[in-house]
Amino acid sequence: MIGSLSRTTPVIVQGITGRMGRSHAALMRAYGTNIVGGTSTRTDMKEAAGVPVFASCAEAVLETGALASVAMAPPEETWAAVQEALAAGIKLVVTVAEGVPLHDAIRIGRAVRRAGATWVGASTPGLAVPGECKLGFLPDVCLNPGPIGIMSKSGTLSYEVGYRLAREGLGQSIWVGVGGDPVKGVRFADMLPVFFDDPRTKGIVLVGEVGGTEEEECAEAYARLGAKKPLLALIAGREAKEGVSMGHAGALVHGESGTLASKTQRLTAAGATVFGSIESLIDRCARQYRFDKR
Amino acid sequence: MSRTASWAWGRSDVLLIEADGKALFAEHGIPVPAGVVVTDVVPPLPGDGPWMVKAQVPVGGRGKAGGIVRCGSRAEVEAAVARMLRTRLKGHSVDACLVEQAAAGQERYLAIMVDAASYGLRVIYSAQGGGEIEQSGSAQGRLCPPHPGAATEALAELIADEPEAWRAQVAAIGKALAEMLLERELALAEINPLFVAESGCVAGDAKVVVDLNAVGRQPRIASLIAARPAIYMDACRKLAEGFDYVELDPEGEIGLVTTGAGLSMMLIDELTARGAKPLNFCDIRTGQMRGSPARLIRVLEWITSRSSLKAVLVNIFAGITDLGEFAGLLAAAIQASPGLRVPVVARLVGRNAAEAQRILGEAQPGMLVTEDLEEALARIDAIVGAAA
Repeated sequence: MIGSLSRTTPVIVQGITGRMGRSHAALMRAYGTNIVGGTSTRTDMKEAAGVPVFASCAEAVLETGALASVAMAPPEETWAAVQEALAAGIKLVVTVAEGVPLHDAIRIGRAVRRAGATWVGASTPGLAVPGECKLGFLPDVCLNPGPIGIMSKSGTLSYEVGYRLAREGLGQSIWVGVGGDPVKGVRFADMLPVFFDDPRTKGIVLVGEVGGTEEEECAEAYARLGAKKPLLALIAGREAKEGVSMGHAGALVHGESGTLASKTQRLTAAGATVFGSIESLIDRCARQYRFDKR
Repeated sequence: MSRTASWAWGRSDVLLIEADGKALFAEHGIPVPAGVVVTDVVPPLPGDGPWMVKAQVPVGGRGKAGGIVRCGSRAEVEAAVARMLRTRLKGHSVDACLVEQAAAGQERYLAIMVDAASYGLRVIYSAQGGGEIEQSGSAQGRLCPPHPGAATEALAELIADEPEAWRAQVAAIGKALAEMLLERELALAEINPLFVAESGCVAGDAKVVVDLNAVGRQPRIASLIAARPAIYMDACRKLAEGFDYVELDPEGEIGLVTTGAGLSMMLIDELTARGAKPLNFCDIRTGQMRGSPARLIRVLEWITSRSSLKAVLVNIFAGITDLGEFAGLLAAAIQASPGLRVPVVARLVGRNAAEAQRILGEAQPGMLVTEDLEEALARIDAIVGAAA
């Protein structure tokens, strides 16, 4: 679903009459996203951000044929929003709320898997195919069509990377904020086949952070899938204060994982290149991709 | 400042101190030794000795660091408590000790944790408990759906070879542990060592990691955190203020007013690599300010309370936020912060950046306001160099 997103993909915004929903629906439309409607519990509003407002996802999907949804729901209401979207047949759900409870994220993950759908989030700024559409709130100033696939745990750090790439005249093929929560939808490793199969993508930038095991998983998948395109990684948190100890359980399950050293070592061993600063990553991209501007 | 980064930070996981973990255990029917929490004078002790004196800091590896001592008499307990209180252990100040009856029996390991990749639980058991469990290679794990029944079945497989004399007791503890993890929405519940004997099984330790994102509907967890603001300082601050601020180095020189956890961490890394000393981590969330400089004033107050401060770096990447509005709030906050006597450098990029430059240029002549991060960092280098 992510690889085939385009300006024609029909998208709804759940919670479109709220402050965030209205403003971001308008911004997404202005960028070119095919926002076909939204949902709200408010019965007095028939239209918001220039599109029709429906009482439920089921009604919205029936009337518009929407395939994707951006859920602008508060964290504690995100699980209910995803259930509603899945029941209506939505195939891609993007949840932007920061602070979704861990056990709700587990419920969301299981329900999405059962439905055969795709979930981006929780706690994601969204995703974009620059020049085509954006789902969420990636800033327009960072988006520029080009050859580099971006996947990132951090919103702001990816904005910085995207902005500097754009300033160099470089750009992005597909950009997915996977979010910084431990339990989430699409993970770094899940994105590798998407980037490998995408003809627009010439290279992949991974923006990671210390903590968790996603970078290590991604390294393992990258080697296993044959390192088909260059993988350039930037990982924040070299100087981070020690994180919450997950007891012996963490070490038993994941071994020496989570640290910058572990992530750097595993990614490098798999054939990726790890950069120590934003500047050095951008320099490499500029050298490698300046003749690949789309 | 610790440099052994592991797992997440600035996020929602909080490790409870053992005494709080054991309070939850007891409420969920998991046997724990009789004990008392000591913050000052040692009260009457439970039962006869020996007792264990344990420093209450939210970090692993206390035993090896000298934070756990076995004592045979009241005098030894008093001496151990006096030795531990008001010291620092693995980067945490010891404000409380748990004194409890020493448990007896063989040591086992039992843990249940959320497994992110499978959207389920992982039950882990080992017939060898204790601090060297990773080396023993004896731990076995099973993945299961997030239901107490499934966790109980998974554990039953793992303990199938254990003696019948106490196997049912361990199974019951495992069931209670799974119910607790799901009811209280925990990330991890670990017992190491779990003392096993025919006469009774008891949790020798408790490692419980709670989810700060769920405290709104978990009043018991909220009350545990709120009761110890000194120990759960970062968590209390996050709950009270609605954003993240973590002091990294009380002798830091660069105060940071920044948005986004990842970019803030990266800035800290880059400043440190250039030889600067960042004071704090900060994810201020401009979107929640709603036209008030109060949050900026708070952060400037914390930052300027450190006498080592030489400069403040503001770095805002505004995807959504109107930088013109933010600049007005920043100017107001600077004017409302009499304690701010060092230069402020602002790197503002995104929506309405030109307007922000104009507003700050008028309100704070001489202040560098730029869209270029490298230029801002170079100015910080110059200020720190000049101050030194």
